[in-house]
Amino acid sequence: MWKSLFSLFIKDCRMMASGKFFFVALGSLLLYTLFIHFGYLKLMEGSASIYNVYLYDPAGSLDGVSPLVRLAASQEELDEALAGDTSGGVGIRIIDGRPEVILYRGAEKADRHRADYALSLLHFSGEYTPEAVGGNTPEMKQRREITCELLFIEIVAVGFLGIASVLFKEKQMGVIRVHAIVPLEKDLFIFSKVFLFLLTDLAFAALMTLFNVGPAEAGSILPAILVQTAILSLIMALTGFGCTMLLKDFRQFSLAYLVIALFVATPVFLSANTSIKMAWIDWHPFYHVYMGLKNAFFGMPVTNPVYYICAVCAIILLFGIVGSAFRKEMGREG
Amino acid sequence: MIEVKDLTFSYGKDKEALHSLNFTVEDGEIFGFLGPNGSGKSTTQKILTGILKGHGGMVSLFGEDINGIHKQDFFRRIGVLFEFPYLYANLSALDNLHYFASFYPKEQLRDAEELLEQLEFKRDFLRKPVSSYSKGMRQRVSMARALISSPKLLFLDEPTSGLDPAGAVLFRRIIENERQKGTTVFVTTHNMFDADLLCDRVAFISNGNIVALDTPGNLKEQNSSHSIVVDYLYQGRREERTIEAPKLKEGIPFVYDELISVHSQEPTLEDVFIRYAGRGLS
Repeated sequence: MWKSLFSLFIKDCRMMASGKFFFVALGSLLLYTLFIHFGYLKLMEGSASIYNVYLYDPAGSLDGVSPLVRLAASQEELDEALAGDTSGGVGIRIIDGRPEVILYRGAEKADRHRADYALSLLHFSGEYTPEAVGGNTPEMKQRREITCELLFIEIVAVGFLGIASVLFKEKQMGVIRVHAIVPLEKDLFIFSKVFLFLLTDLAFAALMTLFNVGPAEAGSILPAILVQTAILSLIMALTGFGCTMLLKDFRQFSLAYLVIALFVATPVFLSANTSIKMAWIDWHPFYHVYMGLKNAFFGMPVTNPVYYICAVCAIILLFGIVGSAFRKEMGREG
Repeated sequence: MIEVKDLTFSYGKDKEALHSLNFTVEDGEIFGFLGPNGSGKSTTQKILTGILKGHGGMVSLFGEDINGIHKQDFFRRIGVLFEFPYLYANLSALDNLHYFASFYPKEQLRDAEELLEQLEFKRDFLRKPVSSYSKGMRQRVSMARALISSPKLLFLDEPTSGLDPAGAVLFRRIIENERQKGTTVFVTTHNMFDADLLCDRVAFISNGNIVALDTPGNLKEQNSSHSIVVDYLYQGRREERTIEAPKLKEGIPFVYDELISVHSQEPTLEDVFIRYAGRGLS
């Protein structure tokens, strides 16, 4: 069995190398790293500057307010200032001596950081200590977030397409049928491919984390990231394998891929990274996988065993479906 | 070697592809399975090679029912040449052969280079990718793949397809050599010429039924008119006359000045097929 698996694995490596898959993966790694270091972080640097804070205090009851706070003479003026502020300004209205925070951009839950900062400016004397919501600097927070997002996209999109492009080549060459009549456990054919993509994705995840989060921070979070990457990689590779067996050609696959990518990526990103809330998102399996990956990047790995049991069950189920589709493909006419 | 009794197979509820086939193939025999496209040839071969499951009736290979046979042992003992040369186009002939050979025990393997040499494969191309080969060269590599594990039972689907006449002669010689080593050969083909030259016995399959099964010689003889056409010159005129073969015992039963040619009216295997199946092979 090991000899057969080794042969399959070497052949798959050669197929992927001839399809320039490793080259594309390395190119993506380089591109993402350059983007994070010289594009994204620079871009976010501007937006990470201190937010404008507007105060409407009808009774003029507050003393010791920071000079960074801009005063509004009326509720209308406050609304106008916030509506015209594109940098994510924060409004404070004093009602009966108590501050009420008004956020025009982003939900309240999603932006405790801004609200806390704004409130701290009301106590310029230093009596107020903002609540610490995490140990990351804004830059590190952004590094972790964007690395997680790009890793997720890479595995969902590139890995999924990669396995399909290799398999469609084998389908076109007809060699899958030859495997039907050689003394080989047929599941090894699937196992070898999925294992190779898993290894590639794990290496990609490790390098992405090292290059973009930094070696000092990566050490503690890498094991959890690799676990989440493995779950996502296995699910995507098996889904790609199954689609390739069921669909006729790469054109049909591309259409199916658009639907899958749209279904997988869009609602997940919207729910996880913006204030848009979808009531059904808890039923979306990839939302949990994405959050698992994101939590791993922030050093809070998923500990709920139900999540891991569901992931293992999904992988076993997919393997079964793929095995059945593969056997059908082997028996198909030339 | 192969025993098939009342073999049936359906692709769907109302799509019965095989209707109660019965035949046997003896050890060391070259058996031809002939029929047009869609007649059930490939379905039968897929059942015999263990690719297709869910058949009715009994199929026994190497003395064991195919449903109960240990699949890995079975695949170790068979070799299959597909109708099309299925190879990894980015790998060379040698890489393809070494790859597929790696699934078999070492002791039953033949030397890949030696095998390709027997198949008159151009040495310059041994390490070049298959994508640069002609159809004939690919067919040679495919044949080498089927033979590399020294199979006891060889399934050949259109073995001479894509070969030039010299290549076809070479392949027939190789197949005959395999038989002499004791290999049983099951050939599926449209090519009546190959079948006639190669096969000890042939079965004609049409619409999922075996309509005739015998040696090519017997089939032709049974369907022969036993007549001979004689082309001759008599008093300066060229004439042609058909006579019954037994009448030749006493010599040419008419006067002539010079014989030009004598033609046997024995039908070809294709004529016989059309007589049984009611249609041609293409």
